[in-house]
Amino acid sequence: MSTNVTIQHGEEINNSTGVSAKKLLMWTFLGSDVMFFGTFIATFMAYRNKSLVGPYPEDTLNIPITSVSTFVLLMSSLGIVLALHYLKEARMGLAKFWLLMVIIMGIGFIGFQIYEFSHFANMGMTPQVNLFGSTFFTLTSLHGAHVSLGILWLIFLLINEYRGNLNSENAIDLEIAGLYWHFVDIVWIVIFALLYLITANDGVPPGGIPWIGGH
Amino acid sequence: MDWWALNYGGNMSLLKDLFFYQGNKWWKIPETTELSENPKNEHPFGGFLEKAKNILLILSSGKGHAGPVYYWIIAAILGIITLIEVWWFTVPELRYMLAPAMLIFSIIKFALVVAFFMHLRFDHKMFSTIFITCMVVGILFFSVFLLLSAFHGLGT
Amino acid sequence: MSTISKPKQFQLPRIFPRPKSHKGLWYWLATVDHKKIGTMYGLVAFFWFLVGGIEALLIRLQLGQAESSILSPEVYNQMFTMHGTTMVFLVVMPLSAAFFNWIVPLQIGARDVAFPRLNALSLWVFIFGSILMNISWFVGGAPNGGWFGYPPNSSLGFNPGHGITYWVMGLNILGVASIAAGLNFIVTIINMRAPGMHMMRMPVFTWMTLITSVLIVLALPILAVAGIQLTADRIYGTNFFNSEAGGDPIFWQHIFWLFGHPEVYILILPAMGIVSEVLPTFSRKPLFGYTAIVFAGLVIGFLGWFVWSHHMFTVGLGPAANTAFTVTTMLIAIPTGVKIFNWISTLWGGSIKLNTSMLFSIGFIAMFTIGGLSGVTHAASPSDTQQQDTYYVVAHFHYVLFGGSIFAIFSGIYYWWPKFTGWLLDEKLGKISFILMFIGFNLQFGPMHWVGLNGMPRRIYTYAEDMGWEGSNLAATIGGFIIAVSVLVFLANVILSKRNKQNSGGDPWDARTLEWSISSPPPHYNFVEIPKVNNIDDWWYRKYPELLEGNNQNFKKQKIEVEDSSNVDESKIHLPDLSYYPLIIGIGLTIAGLGVMYTYALVAIGLIMVFWGSIGWSTEPVNEDSKEHH
Ligand SMILES: [Cu+2]
Repeated sequence: MSTNVTIQHGEEINNSTGVSAKKLLMWTFLGSDVMFFGTFIATFMAYRNKSLVGPYPEDTLNIPITSVSTFVLLMSSLGIVLALHYLKEARMGLAKFWLLMVIIMGIGFIGFQIYEFSHFANMGMTPQVNLFGSTFFTLTSLHGAHVSLGILWLIFLLINEYRGNLNSENAIDLEIAGLYWHFVDIVWIVIFALLYLITANDGVPPGGIPWIGGH
Repeated sequence: MDWWALNYGGNMSLLKDLFFYQGNKWWKIPETTELSENPKNEHPFGGFLEKAKNILLILSSGKGHAGPVYYWIIAAILGIITLIEVWWFTVPELRYMLAPAMLIFSIIKFALVVAFFMHLRFDHKMFSTIFITCMVVGILFFSVFLLLSAFHGLGT
Repeated sequence: MSTISKPKQFQLPRIFPRPKSHKGLWYWLATVDHKKIGTMYGLVAFFWFLVGGIEALLIRLQLGQAESSILSPEVYNQMFTMHGTTMVFLVVMPLSAAFFNWIVPLQIGARDVAFPRLNALSLWVFIFGSILMNISWFVGGAPNGGWFGYPPNSSLGFNPGHGITYWVMGLNILGVASIAAGLNFIVTIINMRAPGMHMMRMPVFTWMTLITSVLIVLALPILAVAGIQLTADRIYGTNFFNSEAGGDPIFWQHIFWLFGHPEVYILILPAMGIVSEVLPTFSRKPLFGYTAIVFAGLVIGFLGWFVWSHHMFTVGLGPAANTAFTVTTMLIAIPTGVKIFNWISTLWGGSIKLNTSMLFSIGFIAMFTIGGLSGVTHAASPSDTQQQDTYYVVAHFHYVLFGGSIFAIFSGIYYWWPKFTGWLLDEKLGKISFILMFIGFNLQFGPMHWVGLNGMPRRIYTYAEDMGWEGSNLAATIGGFIIAVSVLVFLANVILSKRNKQNSGGDPWDARTLEWSISSPPPHYNFVEIPKVNNIDDWWYRKYPELLEGNNQNFKKQKIEVEDSSNVDESKIHLPDLSYYPLIIGIGLTIAGLGVMYTYALVAIGLIMVFWGSIGWSTEPVNEDSKEHH
């Protein structure tokens, strides 16, 4: 056997599909996370309208405020694709700017959530008080935990960008963080529709066919 | 004489593939001997995603690669849909259609973000396979579960 | 590479130096080598196998005669709960993971898994999670709610104390380990295959690993959610399973079995993979219906999601739901039958070599078929109404999990042992241990069929003398101890065979797949040169090329030696360096888990460790020489 073989382990050596292993890992993880949030959302839907005592969703949910925070999170998704785009083109100023914007928007979203939670607590809605509280708080706070983790990750990447360690060559690192961020965003899209818009309507006397659930 | 060959003539390639190994007789050896690179687009779960991808292609008229302007347009669409959602919620006459409408809107938003912001539409179809497989299993699974709980309560 | 010098990568100041030596405790704590990690998985899981076995023996001692009082009812409850939990989560899953780790990279021609440090993280999280769950024995009693932990029995009101909380936290931490490992193996199998190793050229064990990993990745999050909800109920007073607030304990049953049934296939599919490797090797014949076996595995993996309510036929879901789940459950018998017939056909006409590994595999087919058939009897909801919660069910799932998974795992141990160590296990002692295990197993679980049909319920700590169950139970107890003797014979076999080592060489069985084309034990970089794969069972056809030309009568074996790694220049080897950050994250996660039960200070300490580990992990170069970053 030849003695001058260089043995190296890494994506570029053995790569049977031509795609980045990290990206594959992230997509697979997101598939797994689908089941995680799926179970929480299914719990919420199964327990919808089953609370025995108030406060009920229609008394507590504040759609205007949540609409704003939803919008902020949606736009942060735009921010991160732009940050990635400029990073790939090596336009570092714009890349850093948009990454910073995403972090700020993420923190803003968490701020809204903290405000919302304390507002609910003031109205007497806690995880302990009824089923709506239990299902609502576990789902939204675990989503919040995902966002917070994403913020920490993006801050780490931003620091790397400032130190010059993240550049157009390893833009894949930002790309997979971006995938995670978008996923958290699409989970919120579903949560906003199911937990907020549809649920806040539950107490309203149905004028027509209660298509899905209802009293 | 082979029972299968007698009954099905020469037309038994599926059965052959499944049960007759890769050769003519079950004890025989596969015929492929060529060394070929792994196909770049090979993915484990068959080609059903091609169809899903085609639908996306029609939806998006298949532009090449995306630039900032393009992202801004997608973001604008997302923003507008969100506005419509909130508006829909505030109109009492539309409320009876609220749940299905919100579901449809959120599915559209979901698809837009996944296809364009997450690049699934332009990316290796392996990623679509994985993500859509998980989505399909999850959605089927939780639909069955919710159906059960809707018809029977949760058991009582 | 660009010529512009890059700014120096930030690195956390190291508290401990990065280990360099490939020896000693430090090496084992910081290793990222899939083979070493597989070994540790195997050793730790085997330790828990002995613990779970002792728990089983205590249960059998208690049930050996009527109205005995060896265990109190309280301890008995803890015993069967921990026996089930241990055997499922701390034995069969990690033993399968040990095989995944050892074998999959070798079978697909890779130098390691795709993410070696993530692999180490799975290992450490598993080890500490398993310890955490068993700490409960010493701090006020182990969990006692059964391995399924149904509320309200497992709710705070009926089950105060920390036992159940330890159980849930343990499961959640183990879930993290399993999901990380599952993700890693999916990426490894999809992306690390050697050139020419198409999906449909992969060995069946690798295929089953892929399907199992997909199931793990999709099913374990559901258990995590159930765990979070039960923890929240117990610690924060939420209402998920609290019927006073409108919560429904049946909801737990749904969500647990939503996870629980795919889990059954997580336990059995790796076993099916092992058997599909052993049978063709010792029949000296290709696996019959390779494609069918692979697709049957895929079908099982998919159908397994839509059968969970067969665990709940007596809950009262109504005839429509019961009928639907009867049908879906019975459908699974089809792909399973496809596999069984394919294995039997693999044996048919082969030149069979009946060594220990092969005996365990054949035992697997027989026992698994019995277990599968009794499974069909309670797939039918009317008949299940009679069998629910009786010893008949206990007999059924031990036939599939012991007669199935454990037999196959032993088959795999005897089959791959020379690859792990470079020496053979003694055949004589091996056959003795097989015969003892086979007899003991059937003596223990066979009689449970009829005491079960006679009405003996599960999970009772004793029974009256006039029930007529004494003879069968005594037989079962004796059977249990025979199994224990057989495990002791296996351990003696390991020790004695190690003493008078019988060198195996790289390919002792004249086997078929790539792991046998390299020396035993493999060098840490596995393959000197990444193989080029032309065929399914590539190594076999490299040895017997005439078979490919259709000459299957007088074919000759080519003189091909396994890869010689003795004169490889070690300085040119660039594999990932050792890293202790996975260990730190593992400890941190466990401390945080403990803290959830006791004090937030511990949670904070644990999370700080996790944070420190993550930053250290993501800033250290994968390899100090090449300065490549992950
Ligand atoms: Cu089941």
